[in-house]
Parts: sequence; structure tokens; C-alpha cells
Amino acid sequence: MESLAELYSTYQSTLAYVGLNALLALSVYATLSCGQLALSSAGFAAIGAYAASILTLNFHVAFPFALLAAVVLPMIVAVPLGLPVLRIRGVFLAIATVAFGEVVRLGLVNWDYVNGAQGLVAIPQKTEVWMVYVAVALALLLFARLRGSKWGFALEAIREDEPAARTMGIHTTVYKLAMLVVGAALAGLAGALEAHFSFMVAPNGFAFGRVVDMLVFAVVGGTVAYYGPVVGAAFLTILPEALRVIAPLLGIEPGPLRALVNGVVLLLVILFLPNGIVSLPSRLAARRKARSAAA
Amino acid sequence: MRFPVRSFLAALAALAFAGPALAQQTVRIGAALSMTGPAAAYGANQKTGILAAIDEVNGSGALKGVKLEAVIEDDASTKEQGIAVFQKLINQSKVAAIIGPTLSNTAFATNPLAQAAKVPVVAVSNTAPKGITDIGDSIWRVSLTEGQVIPGALKTLQAKLGFKKAAVLYGNDDAFTKAGYDVMKAALADLKIQVLGEQTFAKPDRDYNAQLTSLLGTKPDILVVSALIENASGIVAQARQLGWKGPIFGGNGFNNPVLMKNAGPAAEGVYVGTAWNRASTDEANTKFLALMKSRGVDPDQFCAQAYTGVLVIAEAIKQAGTKGGRDDVKAGFAKVKGLATPLGKFSFLPNRDGDHTPAIQVVKDGKFQILQ
Amino acid sequence: MSGQQVINGLFLGGIYALFALGYTLVFGVLDILNLAHAAVFMLAAFVALTLVSAAHANLLVALPVAVVFAGLLGLVLERIAFRPLRGRSDSNISGLISSLAMAAIFEAIAHEIWGPNTARFPFDTLPDQQLQILGGVVSRLQLTIIGVSLGMFLVLWWLVQRTRLGREIRAVAESPRAARVLGVNVDRAIAWAFFISSALGGAAGVLFALSFNSVSPDMGRGVELKGLAVIILGGMGSMTGAVVAGFALGLTEVLVVSHLGGSYRDAVSFAALFLILVLRPRGLFGAPSLREA
Repeated sequence: MESLAELYSTYQSTLAYVGLNALLALSVYATLSCGQLALSSAGFAAIGAYAASILTLNFHVAFPFALLAAVVLPMIVAVPLGLPVLRIRGVFLAIATVAFGEVVRLGLVNWDYVNGAQGLVAIPQKTEVWMVYVAVALALLLFARLRGSKWGFALEAIREDEPAARTMGIHTTVYKLAMLVVGAALAGLAGALEAHFSFMVAPNGFAFGRVVDMLVFAVVGGTVAYYGPVVGAAFLTILPEALRVIAPLLGIEPGPLRALVNGVVLLLVILFLPNGIVSLPSRLAARRKARSAAA
Repeated sequence: MRFPVRSFLAALAALAFAGPALAQQTVRIGAALSMTGPAAAYGANQKTGILAAIDEVNGSGALKGVKLEAVIEDDASTKEQGIAVFQKLINQSKVAAIIGPTLSNTAFATNPLAQAAKVPVVAVSNTAPKGITDIGDSIWRVSLTEGQVIPGALKTLQAKLGFKKAAVLYGNDDAFTKAGYDVMKAALADLKIQVLGEQTFAKPDRDYNAQLTSLLGTKPDILVVSALIENASGIVAQARQLGWKGPIFGGNGFNNPVLMKNAGPAAEGVYVGTAWNRASTDEANTKFLALMKSRGVDPDQFCAQAYTGVLVIAEAIKQAGTKGGRDDVKAGFAKVKGLATPLGKFSFLPNRDGDHTPAIQVVKDGKFQILQ
Repeated sequence: MSGQQVINGLFLGGIYALFALGYTLVFGVLDILNLAHAAVFMLAAFVALTLVSAAHANLLVALPVAVVFAGLLGLVLERIAFRPLRGRSDSNISGLISSLAMAAIFEAIAHEIWGPNTARFPFDTLPDQQLQILGGVVSRLQLTIIGVSLGMFLVLWWLVQRTRLGREIRAVAESPRAARVLGVNVDRAIAWAFFISSALGGAAGVLFALSFNSVSPDMGRGVELKGLAVIILGGMGSMTGAVVAGFALGLTEVLVVSHLGGSYRDAVSFAALFLILVLRPRGLFGAPSLREA
């Protein structure tokens, strides 16, 4: 029993971050599910994190209301952002949203009210691990419901071939904007939960690299299924901790090994498992079938 | 096979004589350092300092019956891994104390955990004025804040050089350099020095020509800079190239031999207000420099402070009666007074911040020298 | 804006233009953002540094070697990270990600071999001299860089517009299928495009390292996003655009710094990038897109 409790306290934060990263991965997935590569989640996470933290620190607002603000404010911002930006195709959309994220970060760095680069500290720790997983569960529920519905088919159609979908009478802009707003809400929530878990928030936590990480979680897990990003987030969040244990046994420094392993895993997945980890079981099954058919 | 009686008896005898030595207690000291990520250069230097200090303490036999062991983990310059590392050190490695983390921003996230678990933390590179030691009575600090270093240094320099107008350049996207700037600005105001212009840069920038041209155009008497070493060398070199021959004053980030290595002759006449006086002839410092040299390392301030962190922990263990439990170390910290370290005679202040005499150095003939 | 600031802007612009030239070539040909460009930039600088400081090679030898090395890295990139993905429907996302993976691997390797600290070329690598022009000070090295960017642009322009290889690359950029039908060896053309692009990136890296006396595994960080802004502003695939936008961005940044302060410098670049994407995604010189979303 003692060692189980010990194990939990050692890895409690990893557990929390698996959930937080899952939320962020799902926020990127929201727009990927209709074929849009929007990399605005770091910016929205920043907005949510700072909004909630300012409310709890300076205005002593109750945590649930702070979380509400963290969800609603990014959703509001997503609309004027999305309308002009979702008209842009492919990689250009990604770049525009990255620019948005950088502008948010630079705004925070230069804003004295939030201490610029030093960020907000001594944020009361209100987030508990179960809250994060409730949020993840709700998000998964949302995506699961979308799946077989009219909405889900529309998203699928837009992802497959947007001009064709438009010709078929689907209001592509509405759907794309809606998913951007959903993604913004998830990112804002994740940002606020993280800020209230780790006692502090600073602009450098929302740089370009962060949103790239989120994209990688989603892609490595697999964007063919709505639970793929969660699998990817879990795998890539646990990986550094696993390496921390494994590397010394091999006599290697865990730090540089982690950076290398991340790159290699990502490359292998993209090249050989394009639909992500979640496609592994079906790929193996197909291979086995092909092999037994050939036999 | 017959029982090897003779060897058995010999082994028993050896064990009997070795008895006292076996009663050694291993005290684990954890270190959460940034070995990868943007702060990797500082973390690497801290690691060399810590390992050298541990070897030194163990080798000198100052702690009878206690052997120090380092458990160094990488926090990747992120708070996420910082938290994971702290929890591992506290719950799994069961360390007696934690040195670090490298970055103040990470510290804000990790130290509350140590405080809650009553594990002493020794901050050796956090310079944020607030939010470190005020987290609680388990958090202690060896690194002087910019507020303890800069005002005194500027005052001394002003008395010597007599400048009246300054231009300020600082990195505004890093907590370390931003904190430095805040202190510099207040100190300049206190000394009634007019600030003719202020400019900022970001840590990844390498081109500062536009900012420097703008600042130098205001014709200041002195250029005051708050930067980390990767920017400092470039700033100094570019300022000189643009024709600036006047004095340049830098904070803790400048206190690094890489400054002279990368800026070369441009670094002549750069003044550095710093926690560690590299040119100090104190025995503790010369011993430290020689030790690091024998290990092939040219130490910087991060190295010296991390080294001192271990010395302070060792002293605390000694003061606690050579006991290495977490509470023992904490109790021992309060008794650390005037400890001889490379940083000078070190004690803790009542608020658990560090206290030793800071220095102001000048680069002369390619070396840091004490300002006369 | 003073003469000195104009010089500063041209110098900064030259760096941006050089970095963007290679970047835009691949972007134009394959419609893929090669996020490993900055890593190649960095590795070339390290190779040149090692040749000069450890092997005591002359810069005139080290520079071409580093540039060729960078070109070869480009071939490796193409073979490992991009070719297997060609033909996939989501190739622009997967290409982005695989280039990201390669960038992470390159950076990890550099960190392992050379460590995290910032290094510089030995002081006598390039004898330098200050010149007075336009009421400001400029070093011979800075002038060299401005000159080299313009020179590279001319060479590249000649290569793409006047040689057969260039014609093939342009054909592939237009439509790989049509090009293949017309007898162009598409694989070879793309490989060449990567070689040239990465060689340019490598040249940019070495010159950058020389100008700022700074080589570190993360040295690409400051230019990679700016480089992106330049190629978007200039127009995807347009070399003229890369050069014009590069110099324009350099001058604009310097203008912003001297009048508004350094804090606004990056924000202005990203805001400009955002506006261009929203108002005129093809940039200043890009061709209007035939395939709409």
C-alpha cells in the first residue's frame, strides 16, 4: 500500500499533465476533424489561463466562475479571428494562426499588469486531477456525439473535399468556425486548469513550440478517431518520464535522449503509421489477415 | 566443495575492522536542473559545480560518517517536467534537499510542492525578488537577487565614473533579465541618473544594431544592459562596432568567461555588477577555481553558486550534528553563519534569502578584475 | 531614419533574404513548409566552425564545404522525410510534421556533439574593417552579406529561369503530373530543388554565424518565424518576393525599433504577416492560387 501511495505522489503530476495535454490535443483536433490546420490553441490557452488567473488572484472570484471565463473568453475571440482566417487554405491557415499566437504571447510579454515575462505567481492550486479528467471525458463525449450525427458527416465531408461539400449545400464557414470555437474553449479550459495546478503562468509557456507539441500529440495519436489525440497525449507525456527511468539503465543521459527519441518517434509515426497509434491494431490485424490469406 | 573456512574467517576479520566505515550514512541531494531546452547552458554549468562540490565534500571527510550523493534530473526548462522531477526527487529518490530549479519561472511552480512536503529547497540561480523564499520556510536561497547586487554596484560605479545620463537595453521576454531591468531602473532613479532611452530585445535575437543605434544616438554617458550571456556578448560587440567607446554596465548574466571569449577586445571596459567575485583571492574561491580547472571547466557564476549550494547543505548537515534528515538540514540552515564559500562569507538572512558581499568587476586585459 | 539605421536595416534584410530564398524554393515547388530549414542553417554553421577552429581550415575552404554539406543534408531530408509522403492526401500537414521531426533530430544531434553553449568563430577568421558610408558605420563583413544575398538571388534567378534544370523545377512546381507526362524526371528535379534550397540555407547559416559571432544549437530560433513571414509577404515560391520582402522586413523592423521601441519589433512582423494572409494570401509577388480551399 505504501509503495502505491508513493507511486501516486511521484506520478500525480504526470497524470494531471496527460489529461491537460489531452485537452490541448483535442483542441487542435477539433479543427483538424474538418481538415483545417489551425494552430491557434496556444494563444487561446494563454487567454484562458490568464483570464482565470487574474480573476482568482486579483478579484478573488470562485474557481468555477474563473473556469467559465476561461472557456467563454477564447470562444468570443475565436469568432473575429476565424471569420477572416478560415477562408485561407492549408498551410497558410496554419501560419496565420501561429502569427495570432505569437501576437498574443508578445502582448502578454509587454503587458505590465500581468508582470510581462515574469508572469503571475502564487496562483492558488484549485485544480485536482479528477477535474481534468472530467473535462477530458466531457470533450470526448462531445466528439463521440458528433461522430454519427449530421454535424459529424458535414465535418467529414469538408475534410474530404471542401469545394465539393460547399457545392452540396453545406455551409462550410459555419462548421469550420464552430469547430474553431470548440477548440478555443477546450484550449482555454486547459490553460486555466494548468495555471491553477502549477501555481503560476507565464508567456513563455505559450510559444510556438507549445502549439507544435499539441499538433504532434494529435497526429501521433491519430486523427482518424476522436480519442486518438488523447492516446497521443498520454504516450508523449509519459515518454519523458519512462525515459528518465530507462536511460540511466542504458548509461545514457535522459535529457538529450528524450529530444532525440521525440523526433524519431514522430518521424516513424508519420512515415509508417500515418493514421497514428490508434490505427496500429487495425494495421496489425490487416497484416495478419493478408499473411494468412497468402499462406 | 569443502567450506572455505580460512577465507571465511579472513573475510569476517576484515569486516570487523571495516566496521566503523560501514556505519556510513548516504544522504541524497537532489538537483532539478535545466539540462535541455533554452536554459541548457546554465544547467550544464550548475551540474559541474554540484558534482565537483560533492566530490570535494566527500573527499575532505568534513562530514564524518555521512556520504553525499547527487541525484540530478533534467527539467527541460519547462515547469511541467520541473514538477514531475520534484515529485520524483521528493517521493521516489527521497532526497534530503533539492537544489534548483534553474529557472525562476519553474521555481514558482515546483517550490510549493517541496514546501508542502517539507523538503528543503536551495535556490542557486533564482533571482526573482518575490515569490521564491516567500513560498515558505522550506525554501532557502543562495543566489543573491538583482536587488541585492545592482544598486550597490551602480552606486560604486557612479562614484568612480561620475556618469549622469544612461541608456538602458534589456531582454523583456525572460524573467531573469526583466527582473534585472526593474532593479536597474529603480537604482538609476535613486541615484538621480537621467535615463535618456530604453530599448528591449528578445532572447532569440542576435541582431541588436537597431536598438543600439537608437540608444547611442541619445548620447548617454553609460550603457546599462540586462541580458543573459548568449545576448550579452553580441550586444557588447555590436555596441563597440557602432563606435561606442564608453562604459557598459551589465548584471549577473554577464558574469561569464564566455563574455571575453565571444566579444573579444570589445569586452574591455565592461563593468559587471555580480554576486560572484571571480577575482576574489579568498581561499575558498581560489580552491574552487583550481578544482574546476583540474576538471577542465572554466566556471561561470551559475557554477559557483551551485557549488556553494552544496557547501551550504553540507554545513547545515554538520550544524545539525552530522544528521542528514530533511528537518535536520532545515534546522542546520538557520545555523549557517559566515561559511567560507567561493561567493565569500555566506549566511542566510532571516527571510531565508542569501547574504554575502557582492562585487563589481571590470573586464581588463581579457580578464575579470575587481574594480579598484 | 538615420543613415546608420538604414545600413542596419539593409544588413538585417540581407540575412532574412538569404534565409528566405532557400525556404521559398521548396515551399514553391512542393507546397510544403520545410521546418527543418533552420536546423540545416544551424548545422552548416557548426560544420564551418569545426572546420575553421578544429581543423584550422581557411574560411574560403570551410564555407563551400559547409554549403555543400548543407545541400547534401537537404537530399537526406528529401529522401527520408518528404519523398515517402508524396501522393498522400494530407501531404502538407504530414510534410510539415516530418520536417519538424527531422529538425528535432538534427538539433538533438548538434546538442550532443557541440553542447548547449554559444560558440564563435576564432577572431582571425575574417579580417574585418569598418567603413563609413551614409553617415554610418558598416563593416566589410556586413557589406559582404548584403552583396552575397543579392548575388545568390541573381545566381538562383539565372538557375531557375535560364537553365533546363530550372525549367524542370518550375514545371514540377506547376504540376508534378504534367511534368512527368512531359518527360521531366520529377524525383530528380525535386531532389535538386532540395539540394539548392538547403545549400542556400547553409550559406545563410555560415554568414549569420560570422556576422553575429554566435553559433549554438538553437540559433535558428530567431530567424525561423521571421523567415516564414518573409516568404509569405514575398509570395510563395517567388525568389524576387523573398529578396524584396526580406529587405523590406529588415528595414521595417529597424524603423519600428527606432520609433516605437524594440518591444514592438516582433509584434509588428507577426501582425503584418497576419494581415497579408487575410488580405492577400499570395503575397506581393506570388502567383494567384489556382487551387482554392
